[in-house]
Amino acid sequence: MKETNKDKASCDLDVAQDDWDQIVCRCEEVTKGEIIKAINDGATTIEEIKRKTRAGMGLCQSKTCFRAIQRILAEVSGQPVAAVLPYTSRPPVRPISIGILSSLMEEEDD
Amino acid sequence: MATDVVVIGGGIVGASCAYYLSKEGIKVHLLEKGSLGCGASKAGMMHVVSWEEPEIHLKLAKASKKLYQELNLELSSPIEFRQTGSIAIIEKPEQVETFKATFDRLRSWGLNCKFLTPRELIEMEPNITPDIAGGVFFGDDAQVNPLYTTLALASDARKMGAIIDTFNEVIGFEFNNADHSVSAVLTKRDRIPAGAVIIASGAWSHAVGNLAGLNIPVEPRKGVLAVTVPVPEGIINSQIILTAGYMESVNSGSNSSLSVAANIQRAVNGNLVLGTTRQMVGFDREVDPYVMANVLKRCLRFFPVIAEISVIRTWAGFRPYTPDLLPIISPVESMEGVYVATGHEGIGITEGPITGKLITQMITGQDLEFPLDDVSLKRFEK
Repeated sequence: MKETNKDKASCDLDVAQDDWDQIVCRCEEVTKGEIIKAINDGATTIEEIKRKTRAGMGLCQSKTCFRAIQRILAEVSGQPVAAVLPYTSRPPVRPISIGILSSLMEEEDD
Repeated sequence: MATDVVVIGGGIVGASCAYYLSKEGIKVHLLEKGSLGCGASKAGMMHVVSWEEPEIHLKLAKASKKLYQELNLELSSPIEFRQTGSIAIIEKPEQVETFKATFDRLRSWGLNCKFLTPRELIEMEPNITPDIAGGVFFGDDAQVNPLYTTLALASDARKMGAIIDTFNEVIGFEFNNADHSVSAVLTKRDRIPAGAVIIASGAWSHAVGNLAGLNIPVEPRKGVLAVTVPVPEGIINSQIILTAGYMESVNSGSNSSLSVAANIQRAVNGNLVLGTTRQMVGFDREVDPYVMANVLKRCLRFFPVIAEISVIRTWAGFRPYTPDLLPIISPVESMEGVYVATGHEGIGITEGPITGKLITQMITGQDLEFPLDDVSLKRFEK
C-alpha cells in the first residue's frame, strides 16, 4: 500500500521521510515507511515487525533485509544496532522442495 | 482509572476477552509474557472449523463463526476472513461407511455438507491422486488469519482504553483474606490491583494457574507445520483440504507417540501451509526433520504435484490440551473473580472469539448464550 503524505505526517517521527517508499523487504515488498509505522504502532522487536508487516517472511527468510530492518529499528527506537535481536531462525536454511524434504524419511506405511 | 479485569495471555483468546470486555466499557489490562500471539496463535493453521464434535464444540463453533463475520466488518484492520468451505478426503473404501455415519449426524445438526464421490472430488481437484475413496465438502467452514485477528482485536481493545502490556510476565496473585476473592496480579514489573482475572494462557495455563494455587489440567500438545513459496491457484483449488481421518488423529491418546494427519491450506497470498502433527513432548520447540518429512509425505500422498514446490520455513507450536479435548471456559468457584479461558487444543482459532464473548457475559452478569457445564473447570474435580 502506498504511503500518503498525510499518513507520513501523522507518524510524527524525527527521521527523514523522503525514502519511505523504498522497498526494504524485496520478497514481500515491504517499504521502509511500513516498517516505521509498525514500530510506531508498538513493535519493539524484529519478530513483531515481521508479524505486522510480513517483512522477512518471504523466499529469502530475511537473509537479504535483516540488517536493514535491524538498522531502522535501532534508529527509530534509539538503541544500539547490536541490541536488536535477529529473527528466530526457522529451518530449512534455504528453500528445499517438498519432494526432497519428505524423502528424509524411510519408506514405510503410515 | 483503576483496572477492572486483568487478562493473562495475549493470544487469540486473551485478545478476544480484552476486545469484548472493552466494548462493555470495562477497563482491561492485558498481560503477555512475550509478544502478542507468540504462542499457539501464530503457530497454527487458518481453519475456522464447523464440524468438530461433540455438541458443545458444534455450538461454540457456530456462534464463533457468526462473531468472525461481524469482526470481519467491525475490526479496524483486515483479518483475511473468507467463507472458503473445506474438503475432507476419504482415503480408503472401508472408511466410507464410517464417514457416512458421521456425515449424517452432522447434517442432522444442520451443517451444510455434501458427500463427494471420487469422480466429483477429482472434478473439484484435478491434481488429486485418483487413489482415494471419496470426500466430504463442508460448506460452513471458513478461513481466517489467526495472527492478524489477534493483533486487530488487541489493537481495537487498546483504542477503547485497554492496556496491552507485552513482555511482562505474571509471577503471582493476591487474594483478599476475608472471602478469598482475587485482589491483584503481580508481574515482574509491577502490582496490578484487579477485581477479576482471566487466565487465558494457552498451553502455559497450568503454570499460571499454579501461581494462584489452582490446578488447570492443560498440557502442551506439539504440532509442526511447513510453509511453501506462494503457488498459483489451480495447483490446488480448495483453500482447506484435510484427510477424513483427521479427527482420529485429534482423539488419539495423550502419550508421546506421534500422530500425523495431512492438512493442506492455502493462505490469501498464495503460500501453502502443510501440517500437521500431534505429540506430547513438553515445550520442546525443535522441528524434528523426520517428523516434518512424515507430514510432507502424507500431503504428497494426495497431491503428488506439490513435490517440486519449495518449503521456505517450518516451525512448531503448542496446543493447550485437556484430557477430554474440551476447552475450559469457566469461573473458578473457590476463587471469586478468577476465570479460566483455555484448553481449546487445535481449535482455539475457531473458538477464540466466542470464548472472549462468553467470559465477558460471565463477568458482566449477562445471560450466557448457552449452558457451559461441559466446559466448566469443576468437571475435573470428579
